[in-house]
Amino acid sequence: MDLRHYVIAHEPYYRAAADEVDLFQAAYADRMPMMLKGPTGSGKTRFVEHLAWKLGKPLITVACHEDMTASDLVGRFLLDAQGTLWHDGPLTLAVRYGAICYLDEIVEARQDTTVVIHPLTDDRRILPLEKKGEVIHAHPDFQLVISYNPGYQSVLKDLKESTKQRFGAIQFDYPPSAIEAEIVAHEAGVDRNLAQQLVGIAERSRNLKGHGLEEGASTRMLIQAGRLVSRGASLQAACRTAIVLPITDDEDIRAALTAAISACL
Amino acid sequence: MASSPLDRKRRLLEALPDQPEFVSTLDLVWRQAQSSFPGARLGEWLEACHGLAESDVGRDCVVSYVRSAPAIASAAGADAALSIARMVSETAARAGDRAAASLAMVASRAARRLANGAAFAEWLRVIQIVVAAAPESVTPLLDRSESLLQELGVQGFEAWVLNGVRQGATDPQKRLAFFTRRDQQTLRTASHEEDEVSLSDVERQLKAFIMALWHMAPPIRALSNGAPDRPRRASFANGIVRLPSSFRGHSRDEASLLYSAAIAHVAAHLQFSRMKFAIGSLKPLQMALISLIEDARIEHLAMRQFPGLGRLWRPFHIAMPSGALTAPALMARLARALIDPGHADDNGWIQKGQEMFFAEEARWEDPGISRSIGGLLGNDLGQMRVQFNARTYSVEPAYRDDNQGLWVFDDAGAPADEQETILEAVRFEREDDAEQPDRERETPEDDADGQEANRAALVEVDSEVGIPVARYPEWDFLIGRERPQWATLVEYEASEGQADAVEDILHRYPVLEQRITKLVRSAKVSRPQRLRRQQEGDRLDLDACIGAAIDQRLGDTPDPRIYARLERRFRDLSVLLLLDVSQSTNDVVPGAGRKVIELEREATALLAHAMAGLGDPFAIHAFCSDTRADVRYYRLKAFDAPYGPAAKRHLAGISGRFSTRMGAALRHAGRELSARMSYRRLLLIISDGEPSDVDVADRRYLVEDARQAVKSMARLGVDVFCVGLDAGGDNYLTRIFGRRNVLQIDRVERLPEKLSMLYFRLLGS
Ligand SMILES: Nc1ncnc2c1ncn2[C@@H]1O[C@H](COP(=O)(O)OP(=O)(O)OP(=O)(O)O)[C@@H](O)[C@H]1O
Ligand SMILES: [Mg+2]
Repeated sequence: MDLRHYVIAHEPYYRAAADEVDLFQAAYADRMPMMLKGPTGSGKTRFVEHLAWKLGKPLITVACHEDMTASDLVGRFLLDAQGTLWHDGPLTLAVRYGAICYLDEIVEARQDTTVVIHPLTDDRRILPLEKKGEVIHAHPDFQLVISYNPGYQSVLKDLKESTKQRFGAIQFDYPPSAIEAEIVAHEAGVDRNLAQQLVGIAERSRNLKGHGLEEGASTRMLIQAGRLVSRGASLQAACRTAIVLPITDDEDIRAALTAAISACL
Repeated sequence: MASSPLDRKRRLLEALPDQPEFVSTLDLVWRQAQSSFPGARLGEWLEACHGLAESDVGRDCVVSYVRSAPAIASAAGADAALSIARMVSETAARAGDRAAASLAMVASRAARRLANGAAFAEWLRVIQIVVAAAPESVTPLLDRSESLLQELGVQGFEAWVLNGVRQGATDPQKRLAFFTRRDQQTLRTASHEEDEVSLSDVERQLKAFIMALWHMAPPIRALSNGAPDRPRRASFANGIVRLPSSFRGHSRDEASLLYSAAIAHVAAHLQFSRMKFAIGSLKPLQMALISLIEDARIEHLAMRQFPGLGRLWRPFHIAMPSGALTAPALMARLARALIDPGHADDNGWIQKGQEMFFAEEARWEDPGISRSIGGLLGNDLGQMRVQFNARTYSVEPAYRDDNQGLWVFDDAGAPADEQETILEAVRFEREDDAEQPDRERETPEDDADGQEANRAALVEVDSEVGIPVARYPEWDFLIGRERPQWATLVEYEASEGQADAVEDILHRYPVLEQRITKLVRSAKVSRPQRLRRQQEGDRLDLDACIGAAIDQRLGDTPDPRIYARLERRFRDLSVLLLLDVSQSTNDVVPGAGRKVIELEREATALLAHAMAGLGDPFAIHAFCSDTRADVRYYRLKAFDAPYGPAAKRHLAGISGRFSTRMGAALRHAGRELSARMSYRRLLLIISDGEPSDVDVADRRYLVEDARQAVKSMARLGVDVFCVGLDAGGDNYLTRIFGRRNVLQIDRVERLPEKLSMLYFRLLGS
């Protein structure tokens, strides 16, 4: 089996805000499991892609969801004409053949999934496939990366201490405004002034976090607004479509946000 | 010219032999004039009449003025009557003789109707604005003034008229259409209460607006429309923002804009007016001008950051570079010239102000420039001898605040609350205007707030009267038997505090509140759950099937549970939250610097917020005890009562007293809960200490009794769970409730956070 499909051919654009690239490389050198913390749309996925490219390793990404079980990660027996056939799950693929495995929003998955990563994330670096009666020793290139959003989970769905403490962590916050504007300008193909205006607008919405909004507008949202503008939408309409309407259904907050946005323009 | 008024009159009549109508009119009103223009004012008035008669305004205008002025003077004061003389010629020049002729007549009726100098001044000011900005509409407006005043009051009148001027900004035809249309929507929206936007409609939005702009959350209070005749302005002092409870006479959209403009202006003060000015020897006029420059300064600073605010504010500036040279009119023009550098005004004083202000652009950060420029302009204006009456002056335009928050008043030593009322009462002059002190927000239920709070304060602790409602047995572990009818449970009215205090708790824990909201939402939608490995179901469970097939091939007996199904699970739960409010809850929690009872209150407020959100029926009760004859029980919120202002006031009013006879209270709560028709019934008790009472020496006795009470709950089908706040409470609490049903919180300051989370955990189980 080769993981050619999982290798990233072209450099994904990533604008570092601090020393996170160096830190991650150091962590990879040690194959330290990493946890990327931060709000949605703050560049976590892009960051892993960029690093996988930089390190020249394949990247296997799994978006975790509530119904996901350990088998979905590890693999399962399937029935076929001859009998049963084992099918490797994405995690097993990465462990066996040496890829970076990125589990997005791991806490969303059922509790039993976090158990399977325990032996992988300590010194043993093994993945026992109980059903199959096999123990895989991780490929030297294998690294586990998870994303984790402490704010979004309920207490009922937090990571266990024993899981958390196995990881190193990098915090992703919205980058400083000038850098964020640079990112928006690059990704949306708009000029710096407009990008800067969009970042100003995002700051208004971020002020509302915890005061009506669960989360402020993400870099991703700004890029989307910017793209609408570069396709000819007015800035006001773009903000409404890409930011105000998606971000909340609360009429009061929408009105306030709309007023604050128009104050920025 | 020390001649008597009579001489003056005679000379005046002689000077106008060709105006018989003038002469006869003056004779007609002479007696009335003598009594309504006191002392020297009578002479001044004759001067004014003379001036008018010799000017080129139409005869009708003069006669109408002479006839009406004494009535105006007696209703609204000599000054008002005199100023109308100037307005008559101004109006004649700009709007024509017909308008000028009706001006004085309509004014006399308005003066009588409004019967209050300030209100009349307001009316005049509005007319002046129309004369200057919409001369074509003066006559139709005057024709309708009476009925408008009757319908809208002077405030609504102002709002409606200014709205019309604004809407037709540069288009006289449009304005005229506005002022002449009869069946119009505008008037309806101006007069119909139900169409009015009130502060409570927009408050959340306004809060979010300034939170978004400057990340600030000052408390906002409503100003009642107390004095109906005075235009209401926003106000801020000591960090509290007060906004009119409604802007009468504005359409919904208009009023919303006005509110937005007002809150943005006040927020700009809070952001940029960092220091207060000392009054020192400043005169009211200077203070008003310094405030005006300060308004412009902070607005420009705000617009540097948020240029769009200019679009919000500027449309409210409608003063035109013309009109009577009264101080308020000039100041409104100056305000416009300052917010809009492109606005040209030919008045020298205004030009000077505009130049000085924009020359200092580089120093706008410095509030000192407001003081210097405002002081200078105030001096100039003072020397121009224009009229300025601090009592009737109100800041223009309507979105601006009264600027009381900019000044240090001398009553420094007064405690904050008092200070606030002092500030409220003070305007630029210490007036004893009939203005009512501002009340807190009024909802029908809250209306009683003031009285209720007073009553609670007056009631002595021991004069509380309770009603004995039940006798409960107590378990005597020594004899191994119940003592029948031993403890008397007495229900008391819960005392009341300020509901606001409970509201504020939510703001204190924004992150937690947000988390709760989120949990509520996910708990509420009863998500379908996939049940796997079932004996029967509507679909195959793939994993189970595969397992079964494998087993089969291995020759094992397959597990027959190979089905899966989706099921919705609804929650059907009643919760009674029972608070220990004994004396010991007054102890200050070492780490937190707060009392236990405050933390209980906060925790309860947050939990109640969650439960109300979930729609689970719940009650909040509290207890303490003073011997077995008086186990006190308070219903802060009953099951069938909403979690509204009343419940919040009760929660705010809890205080810690007496002892903790837990058993009787548990039995009482349990009995009530067991009567609920719910699938699950949960009694959640928060206690900070061991059961005890002054008439019981043996510490074990009440512990064992409480244990018996909890046991009896199980028979009633009530689950009991205890949150213990006593770090050393492990022993007796687990004895009473059983290990699994106690949560010890060793850091009491975390109670608010823990309690709600516990609740969600209990829900999940
Ligand atoms: N530092 C950055 N450099 C380059 N692009 C960025 C950066 N941060 C954000 N982006 C842009 O924002 C978009 C969203 O980022 P990304 O998908 O990585 O977010 P995320 O943190 O993974 O979000 P989620 O938690 O929702 O998965 C990216 O597609 C990219 O265009
Ligand atoms: Mg002001």
